[in-house]
Amino acid sequence: MIPFVAVVSLRNQDSRMFRLWIPLFLIWLLLLPLALLLSPFIFIACLFCRVNPFRGVGVMWQIFNALTDTRLEVEHRSAGLSFHIL
Amino acid sequence: MSEHRRQILQMLSEGKISPDEAERLIAAVEGPVGTKSTDPAFGSAEKSRPRYLRVVVDSEDEGGHEGPTKVNVRVPMQLLRAGVKLAGLLPAPALRRANDAMQEQGVPIDLTQLKPENLEELVEQLNDLTVDVDQKDANTKVKVRVFCE
Repeated sequence: MIPFVAVVSLRNQDSRMFRLWIPLFLIWLLLLPLALLLSPFIFIACLFCRVNPFRGVGVMWQIFNALTDTRLEVEHRSAGLSFHIL
Repeated sequence: MSEHRRQILQMLSEGKISPDEAERLIAAVEGPVGTKSTDPAFGSAEKSRPRYLRVVVDSEDEGGHEGPTKVNVRVPMQLLRAGVKLAGLLPAPALRRANDAMQEQGVPIDLTQLKPENLEELVEQLNDLTVDVDQKDANTKVKVRVFCE
């Protein structure tokens, strides 16, 4: 399943926590028409690079799917950052 | 670890038996295929297919002025699989350029040998991977751990 939400948490020096929920599904919805418009160019670019465009799209789809559950945390005394793709 | 397995490994470490003999003995002790050992250590080896690649970095300055910094990265193995598939799609000249760039950085990995058909084996081998790096210089102490879970 492709990721739907990304959660970004920021902590400043005063230990104040800001949490931002980014609705990725809205971004996907916005990008979908753009991807459709660009698909002929992507197809031509793939052929030019001798890459099977269908396999290319398949692999890109797998990468999108695999992004789910990726987590990055950086903690320091003065600040902290956490990024989690759900 | 079961007593039989421990004895076999002991004999192997003492050089009384060869690795092949040890393997056969362990297979015989475990019994026919399909009957799993009740040893939890065996169970974990059987069941565990790594799901995440973890990179943990702990950094601390000696003076303690800035406090410790911790970095924790968790990457799904599925992403690794997809990445290898993507590398398999890249044309040969691009892979050669990437190889050259990595050679320059001291990473002697030949990406042209990274084939999707070897992918599962590669990922399974990562199960046993643990990289521990401890670096200590005048001002900082850095500890890096890379492992699968």
